[in-house]
Amino acid sequence: MNRAAGGAITVLVGTVLLRLTLTGTYRRYVRVGMGPFLLVAGVVVIVLGMATLVRALRDRERDGGTGAEAYEGHEGDEEHGHGHDDRVGWLLLAPVAALLLVAPPALGSYSVDRGAAVDVRAGDSTFATLEPGRGPVPMTLLEYNQRAFDHDGATFNGVPVQLTGFVADAEAPFRVVRYQIACCAVDAAPIAVRVVGTTGDSPPRDQWVTITGTFQPAATGGDEIPAIAATGVVEIPAPDDPYE
Amino acid sequence: MRVGETAGSAERSEQRAAVRPDWGVGLVLLVVAAAAAARPLLDQLLDRPAVANWATVFVALAVQAMPFLVLGVVVSAVVAALVPAGFLPRVLPRRPAVAVPVAAAAGVALPGCECGSVPIAGRLVGQGAPAPAALAFLLSAPAINPVVLVATAVAFPGKPEVVLARFLASLVAAIVVGLVWAGRGRDDLLERARRRVSTEGRPLAVLVRTAQHDLLQAGGFLILGAAIAATLQTVVPRDVVDAVAGSGPLALLALAGLAVVMAICSEADAFVAASLTQFSLTARLGFMVVGPMVDVKLVAMQAGTFGRGFAVRFAPLTFAAAVASSAVIGWWLL
Repeated sequence: MNRAAGGAITVLVGTVLLRLTLTGTYRRYVRVGMGPFLLVAGVVVIVLGMATLVRALRDRERDGGTGAEAYEGHEGDEEHGHGHDDRVGWLLLAPVAALLLVAPPALGSYSVDRGAAVDVRAGDSTFATLEPGRGPVPMTLLEYNQRAFDHDGATFNGVPVQLTGFVADAEAPFRVVRYQIACCAVDAAPIAVRVVGTTGDSPPRDQWVTITGTFQPAATGGDEIPAIAATGVVEIPAPDDPYE
Repeated sequence: MRVGETAGSAERSEQRAAVRPDWGVGLVLLVVAAAAAARPLLDQLLDRPAVANWATVFVALAVQAMPFLVLGVVVSAVVAALVPAGFLPRVLPRRPAVAVPVAAAAGVALPGCECGSVPIAGRLVGQGAPAPAALAFLLSAPAINPVVLVATAVAFPGKPEVVLARFLASLVAAIVVGLVWAGRGRDDLLERARRRVSTEGRPLAVLVRTAQHDLLQAGGFLILGAAIAATLQTVVPRDVVDAVAGSGPLALLALAGLAVVMAICSEADAFVAASLTQFSLTARLGFMVVGPMVDVKLVAMQAGTFGRGFAVRFAPLTFAAAVASSAVIGWWLL
């Protein structure tokens, strides 16, 4: 590839990185904490690509604008040495094009039953008993699971809670799920809560919902997914930060 | 002057094409325009859950790796611009028995994941560092740096022996591979890393030129690897791995294979390993030792940086060393 093309691809890569970070779309793919690093990487990549472009065009000017200059003179020499090596750089345009045009969605129900499940008992967090009388308490699906395993859900104290996630099953009783990610969507592990006690049509698969309800103790006390007896199911747009 | 060294008829024809001004930039714009025209098609494809899942995993792998790749590329370019040619061979110990362990231990100093260490190791080889030492560094850096070890401690609360086992097993595997390469490796396979961008000219020019070259090359192969990893993850059902859950050698091999396929960043793999509770700790150790050393995107990047013939020999050697070292250290410590 010639130097100007390499520079142009590089500028595009940096621009896409910056755009992802500034619009917040990056949260669909990586954990929120990576934002600043992506920002720095985007700026460095843009500067690098610009520097390459400027040098390539300046050399062309110097050599009379024939276009052949990229292969003459000192700056152009290296292109003979590795002309084949960096041809693979064209592949960088694939994610660039994908992200410029259509940003793939956050992970959905497709991989819920394919990934490793979170071991909710891995943490030794202890929870304060919920205080009744202040309306539904919003909590993460992870906390819900952990409280459910902690003394069989005694800390819920019958207080209504509010959970947000996407619907993972086509028919009732459905599970509401959210992924936990450590670094990026590749290591996502789903956490689920079973929603029971709904009537009528359940929301479509992959629809984001907020569930209000109370903890429903397991009938068998076994290893099953904790359940919530729902009093309200509200469909909501996908949140900006889709992972826990 | 490197003109003519590898110049063949292909390049000469490229040169003719280059007579049109800016054909490169024009082609880039053309590709983007073509993609824009195909947008409705892309939208339709993303309506299928499996395709959407593939795209998300693909983009996530690429985006996640970029900061580390940029770090690696910048470090590599700084080495090229500031370290004079002939300096590294002069100061590094010549005997592999000394150079390899020292280089492997030096991996502690590079905070990052595996994508960043490939261009750096390539640059070290290009600058004349002994290949076994550079390769030991390549393997150890993503596995034993403080960021990764802290992440491992967080993922396995109350089990410091897992962190120690990971550190030791990774270090041992890196040293073993380095020493084996010193004894039986073929340095002629590293030609690709040796014949690289010239380091003549002012430091700033060298900096820009090498960084640009490394970014395009390592980045291109990263994309290739990410596409393969996303495909495997979308297509291969997970039950295959869960079927051999438990302890024993088969479980260790299964998780080592899973690490190759998943291609997770070394800063995050401990969390995945922690969640694989149906497997023994030794098997999960294997997952964390193999992952930063051999995975599909990493092998693609190594093939790009050092050459295909190299990667074909190096990846199996590393895989075997990593599994063996996990088995021994796991049996001893876990």
